[in-house]
Formats: sequence, C-alpha cells, structure tokens
Amino acid sequence: MWQQAINGVFLGAIYALFAVGYALVFGVLDILNLAHQAVFTVSAFVALAFVAGGSMPLAIAMPVALLAAGLIGIGLERVAFRPLRGRSDSNISGLISSLAAATILEAVALQIWGPDVRRFPQGTFPDKPLSVLGATVSALQLTIIAVSVALMAALTALLRATRLGRQIRAVAESPRAARILGVDVDRVIAWSFFLSSALGGAAGVLFGVAFNSVSPDMGRSVELKGLAVIILGGMGSIAGAVIAGFALGLLEVLTVVQLGSSWRDAVSFGVLFLVLLVRPSGLLGKAAIREA
Amino acid sequence: MSDLASFFLTYQSLFSFIGLNSLLALSVYCTLCCGQLSLANAGFMAIGAYAGALLTQNAHAPYALALLAGALVPALVAVPLGLPVLRLRGVYLAIATVGFGEVVRLGFVNWSYTNGALGLVAIPQKTQPWMIWLALAVVMFALARLRGSRAGYALEAIREDEPAARSMGIPSTRYKLSMFVAGAAIAGLSGALEAHLTYMVAPNGYGFSRAVDMLVYAVVGGDAVFYGPVAGAAFLTVLPEALRGAARTLGLSPGPLRMFVNGAILLGVILFLPNGIVSLPRTLRALRLRKASRAALG
Amino acid sequence: MRFGRWSFRLAAVVVPLALAACKGGGSSGDAVAGSSAQAKAPAKLGAALSMTGAAATYGQSQKNGLEAATEEVNASGSLQGIKLELLVEDDATSKEQGINVFQRFINTDKVSVIIGPTLSTTATAADPLAQQAKVPVLAISNTSPTGITDIGDYIWRDSLTEAQVVPGAVKKAKAKLGFKTAAVLYGNDDVFTKAGYDVMKKALADETVTVVDTQTFAKPDRDFSAQLTAIKGKKPDILVVSALADNAAAIVAQARQLGYAGPILGGNGFNSPAFIKNAGPAAEGVLVGTSWNSASTAPANQRFKELMQKRGTNPDQFSAQAYSGVLIIAEAVRKAGYKTGRDDIKNGFAQVKDLDTPLGKFSFTPSRDAQHEPAVQQVKDGKFQIVE
Repeated sequence: MWQQAINGVFLGAIYALFAVGYALVFGVLDILNLAHQAVFTVSAFVALAFVAGGSMPLAIAMPVALLAAGLIGIGLERVAFRPLRGRSDSNISGLISSLAAATILEAVALQIWGPDVRRFPQGTFPDKPLSVLGATVSALQLTIIAVSVALMAALTALLRATRLGRQIRAVAESPRAARILGVDVDRVIAWSFFLSSALGGAAGVLFGVAFNSVSPDMGRSVELKGLAVIILGGMGSIAGAVIAGFALGLLEVLTVVQLGSSWRDAVSFGVLFLVLLVRPSGLLGKAAIREA
Repeated sequence: MSDLASFFLTYQSLFSFIGLNSLLALSVYCTLCCGQLSLANAGFMAIGAYAGALLTQNAHAPYALALLAGALVPALVAVPLGLPVLRLRGVYLAIATVGFGEVVRLGFVNWSYTNGALGLVAIPQKTQPWMIWLALAVVMFALARLRGSRAGYALEAIREDEPAARSMGIPSTRYKLSMFVAGAAIAGLSGALEAHLTYMVAPNGYGFSRAVDMLVYAVVGGDAVFYGPVAGAAFLTVLPEALRGAARTLGLSPGPLRMFVNGAILLGVILFLPNGIVSLPRTLRALRLRKASRAALG
Repeated sequence: MRFGRWSFRLAAVVVPLALAACKGGGSSGDAVAGSSAQAKAPAKLGAALSMTGAAATYGQSQKNGLEAATEEVNASGSLQGIKLELLVEDDATSKEQGINVFQRFINTDKVSVIIGPTLSTTATAADPLAQQAKVPVLAISNTSPTGITDIGDYIWRDSLTEAQVVPGAVKKAKAKLGFKTAAVLYGNDDVFTKAGYDVMKKALADETVTVVDTQTFAKPDRDFSAQLTAIKGKKPDILVVSALADNAAAIVAQARQLGYAGPILGGNGFNSPAFIKNAGPAAEGVLVGTSWNSASTAPANQRFKELMQKRGTNPDQFSAQAYSGVLIIAEAVRKAGYKTGRDDIKNGFAQVKDLDTPLGKFSFTPSRDAQHEPAVQQVKDGKFQIVE
C-alpha cells in the first residue's frame, strides 16, 4: 500500500508541474493553451538532444531545455495569442489557435526526430533503488519529486514576493486596471508565457527521464489529465493545481488498486465531471464562473 | 477511362465525407449559436454510430430505424447531461464536455459486447450519398429558418449576454438545452450514417481530436451564419487530400509536412479571418475599398 | 440571392483544390498497369501506411521495409524486365484518409495491388472498397483474427495473427518453466494489443494456468507502476504482457525496478531491437512469442537485416513483414507468368508456396491468411535467441 502511495505521489508531482503552467496562463489570460503539451514534448527532445548528442550532463541540459521552452512560449504568445486579444470570442479562437500551434510543433518534432520512442542514454541518471519503509523508490524518482516541488515553490515565491509576481497577479485580476496603474501588460503577459512554458518544459524533461521515453506524441497522455487537474484545483490557482496534481496522482493509483486499471481514466474524468457540476471553482479557484 | 470519370470515382468517398463532416460542423454550430462551447458531439456521434450499427447487426432492423435510433439515443442522453452541464460557462463547459467525450470513448473501449477497441466490423453499407445530402439539406433548412425567427433572436440574445436576455424574460435554459439536444441528434445521425458507409465503428475514432475537429470546421468556416460550418467542413475535409496531390506533384515523401501545412493554414485562418472562410469575400472587398479610398484621398 | 452567390464562391474554393488533388496523382497515373500489350509495364504497388498519427512508428518501419525490398527486387532483375513501382501515401491513422487513399490508388493511380493499411481498424473500413473494385490487397500488419481476409477473395495477408503465434509461445514457455499462475497486462485501447490479449487469455486457459490478476493500460501511458505493483502483490508465476514496443520496454523496465523478478512473456510487439535497447538490462530473459524469427540465419533474413542496417533503421517485425510482402508480390507476378494485372497478381498469390522470405518459408492458407513457422525467442546477452 505504501508502495502505491509513493507511485501516486510520483505521478502526481509530474501532473502538478504540468498543470501549474496551464493554470498560470489561464489565470492571466483566461485562455486554455492547448499548445502547452507540445512545449512539454519539444522540451524533452531538446534535453535529449543535448544529453545524447552533445554529451551534456542532465543538470546542464535541463536548464537549457527550460530556456528553450520559455522562448517557445514567448513565440507562441506573440504569434498565436496576441493578435486575438481584442476579440470577443477570444477564448474559443485562442483555443483553436493554440491547437494549430500544437499541430505545427508536433509536426516539426516528428520531422526532426521521427515517430519512434527515444531513450536517454544509459547512465544519464544514477538509477539506485532505495528502500523507504518497505517500498522501492529509486533515487531518480525522489529527485524528480524534489525538483517538481522546488520549481513549484519557486514559482509561488516569485508570484508572492517579487515585483514581476505582483504585476502578474494584477494583470490576472484586471488587465485594464493594471495598465492604468502603469504596468506594461504586454511584457507581463510575455513573462507569464515564458514561465508557464518553462515549467511545462520542465515537466516534459522530468517525464522523459522518469519513464525513459521521449516521443512526439508524449504530450497527449498528460494533456487531458492536465485539464482534470486544473479543474479540480481551480483554474487560475497555482496552489490548487499543485494540490490537485498530487491528489489526482494518488486517486489514479488508488483506482487501479481498488477497481482495476481499466477504470482509471474513467474515474479521473468522472471526478472532473463531478467537480464541475458541484463546485466548478474547484478546490481553490477563482469564483464567479457560474451563471448569475 | 476518362479523366473526369476517374476523378469522380476517386473522390466519391471524399464528397460523402464532406457531407458527413458538414453535419458534424452544424451540430457544433447548434451550441455555438447560443454561445455554448461544447465539445461533447464526438461522444454523441459515437453513441449514435454504435446504436445504429448494433440495431442493424444484432437486431437486423430496417435502415430507417437504425438511423432514427442514431439520432434519438444521443438526444435522450443529452437531456440529463445538459441540464447540469449547461449551467457552466465558457471554458468550463468546454472542459466538462471534453470529460463527457472521454468517458463515452472509454466506455466503449471497455465494453466487451462491442469488442472494445476493435469495434464493430462488417456493417452493411446502406448509406447512399443522397441520404447524406438530404439530411444535410434538411438540417440547413431548419437552421436557416431559425435566423430571423423569434427563437433565432432569442438565441442571439443569449449568445450576446445571457443574464440580460434572462432578465428580459427569455427562458435561456430551455433554449440552450434544446440546441444542445438538437446538436446531439445531428451528430448521432451523422455517426450512424458514417457507420453504414465505412463498414465499421471503433472507439478511437471518436476521441478528443474528433471533437476538436468538429469545432474547428465550424469556427474556421464562420460560426455567425448557418452555412459557415458547411464551408469550413468542406474546406478542411478537402485540404488534406489537396495537399496530398500537391505533395505528390512536388515529389515530397509522405509525412509530417502535410500535418504542418494543415496547422499553418488553420492558424492563418484563425488569425486573419476571424469571421471564418465565408467572410473572405467580404474581407477582400473591404480591403479593396480601403485601398481605393486611400488612393482617392491621395 | 446572397446564398446562391456564396455557394458559388464556396464551389470556387473547393473545386480547384479538388482538381489540384486529382491532377497531382493523375499526372503519374497515365500508364494503366497490367495492360498485357506491354509486357514491360511496371507493376504499381500502392502502399497505404500510417506515416503520421498514432500508428506512425509502425508506418515508418513498414516504409523502410517496402523500399528496401523494392530496390532489391528491381536490382535483381528477376522479373524479366518488369520493374516494381512503389507509391506510398499517408493515411494519418484515420479511416477517412485510409478510404481516400484507397480510392486514389484504385481509380487515379490504377495500381495493381494495394499494400496495407497499417491498422486493422482502417483495413475494415478501406479493404471492402478494394474487394468491390477487384483490386488485390496484401495486408502486412493486420493481426485482427476476423474482419480482414473475411472481407473477400481479394484480401490477403502475410502477417500472422496472434492466434497463430501466442498459443505456441505459451505452450513452449510452460513446458520450459512450468508455471501454474499468471498475471496479464495488456493495452485495451489498441487493436493490436487487444487482439493479442484475447488470444493470450484463451491460450492460458487451454494450458490450465490460473490468471490471478488482469490489468490494463492505454497506449499513451508511460507509467505502469500502479498496475505492476498490484500484480506483484498477487505473486504470479509469470507475467504475460500484450503491448507494443514503446510500452513494452517501459513495462519491463518498471517491473524490474519495482522488484518483480519472475519470468515475463510478451507478444509480437516485443519483437524489435528497440525493445532491447530501450529496456536495457531489464530485457534479459524476457520470452517473446513472435511471427518473425529475428535470430534466423536463413539467407533471406540475413539480407533483409543487412539492408535495414545500411538504411540506418531497426529491422523489426513491421519492416520484416513489409519486406516479405514485396517479395511475395514479386513471386505472384512470376507465378502469373510475368503478368502484372490485378487478377494476375490475385491468382499468383494462390500459387505462392514455400517462398524464402525473412519470415521463413511462406505460403498462404486456403483462407488467404499467412502461413509460416512462428518462433519463440528469449533475450540473452542483449540479443534475441531462439528457444528450442
């Protein structure tokens, strides 16, 4: 049982990190960025390219990949989201625009790296199994959990304590008011995308290393789970995404144990459903999404 | 064999797919025209497809009955689903409907009666092209009549500003639910027609990407008018095949390039033609006028 | 009327696009394959493969196998001057595009034989068109036991179904290891792996093995720790897995990592060097029931592996079956008296007997399914070795 709990926490850490990026962009722009999973994927490939091709140690390749992801995020914002900002149906058109961008990114990944699943070379990460309270955990898994938590904590600290963080929160609250107060809204939005994509990219690299598999369609499996996480946690809430990420990871594992694995995804979406019907703002989300 | 004859033979399926995809796009339009972003219609399509196919295969029912079931069963499911779900707005509604779609797909994947992932095969081909076009004509006619009618104005009002519409006495829940159910029935009918055209149904054809495709047809075509989605469906159904021909002429090997161009064109339309393809003539005219007036003013 | 004008404009957009699509194929489709007046007309092979979408990895392998074999056959000049011309189109793992590609091959390119499509689900939608148009289809990866060759006498396949492979593997494994209980893990959302599971379940029952736990996963999954932990808890004598290469490697690696030390038996999907590469040391000792004996030293197999290495790609089951497919078509042309018409090739298939292919000595069964010796292999020292 303890083993399953560890499995759940491990899975949850990655879900949470991925979902946090979603939550950030939604909180600031009210747009669901479906290209997030494509950035997740491309970032993993970039890290792989540096480690396998350039013989770079993972500790250096990862920040490089994060930087690349962040820059892609800024590019995405410029090309696919900024032109739509004034429009009345911006959440639908933003959705479709991000989808188009995701298709383009996936096609590029497919063209450059081919459809096969790739693996990080042996020895990229020391794979020592440890025994914690009777459960088998690898050093890799513990590190991934630690890195996830550290990144999410860093983001929270940034949002709470820095000037940029305050500006992001202001724009999330009301772009117009923020502009009146002298905030450079465009720059803040660009930064939000940078951070969101960097975190999504981090999730991608960790996922790729954790399960030792990198492929152009790896984003598909987390894409929909990420939605479930942000709904459960409350869209726009970072802390909510974190808690919900771990919760969903544990829930999935629990379902496999109790009901059987074929129920696993159905339960995740069932929970999604229930939350939307009963408490759409999720655990910690912004209120006012129900009809008056 | 003449070029024209072989052209028609090669593309007969494509024309049918244009019709079917137009129906799907219109099913999404039903919910879009009252401001609801619903991605549930792939799930409804699946339900309709399976219902029709099961009736034909296991009960040897006449085709008309199978088609009727294809439209009615999803509609019946849409009612208890719609009541709670339509209280949500915007992206929340979208996500809830995505969840529904996934639950339907997973249900079929895990249902041994329908062979799970393998689906139902060897379904007799009972769909004729005229049936598809007739269904499309009827649906388009009905939606055209909606425009300018009292109900049509009500829907527009709900789309613009629902609380305001309600305060004016429009029963918005009833209207939204009706359009949701109508969309479900149309999607289900399209599913049943397709099942009896392509000989088989399988759960993986009705997932998240299918739901998004339908939405894209409607929005790219232009979701302000009833014929927009049809234009979008036609354009986007033909596009991969046109690109295939172009790739062959250019001697490119098959692969991600088509996918890339598809995505790029989609992005282009979304960015530059906010009211969809059907607004292209209007946009070009406006550009020409602007150029002319600028020239006139010196 | 406004509507009328716009529907004209709509047609103005759609029709040229459609014509462009037609032209693109038409220009290369002028020579009608198989006109007996020209004995040297090339035989056109239309391959409908999944180059993008969920089945892209298999399609890529298949394309490599087909191209290598086509070059080989053309270079050998063994068809009395007839050349094979291979056309490859992407069906994007979508049944609609599969249907469109088949229509194009049949009516525009006028091919003599269609190869593929990659997935059984696409095949059940597209093959009926070929059957109606009397164009032979050679499936090179459809493993669904029913619904493929059942469609009609123009549909043939060189891919052994799991039903022809798995029971033998289970029997041999039981004879060697003597297990009494088993746990099964399979992908329930993919046609290949689901069909494989159905057969595994039956084979285990036939061998009176008790299944103590059955777990499923979905193809996009990468984490199997929950399922594997549950399985480990039930302490089965053997773990039987129906998965494709990507998932197979992860499953085996994670199983070992979580401390499951018992034997593992996999199906067709495991039969790829990519599996060994990605699973690393965890692959040691894994048993694989497969339709392609990769360790075979037969000359046809050696040549195939050599050509794949030269192309820088993995020789795996998909490319082996694709490569063999072209050899079979060439043989059919020979048996038909060096004729390349559609019916010539169909009749030629029926005459193919004990052809030397990378799959072994190949023939068709009376119901047009594949017939050759399946193999049971085990991973030893990082390589597949045959189990006697």
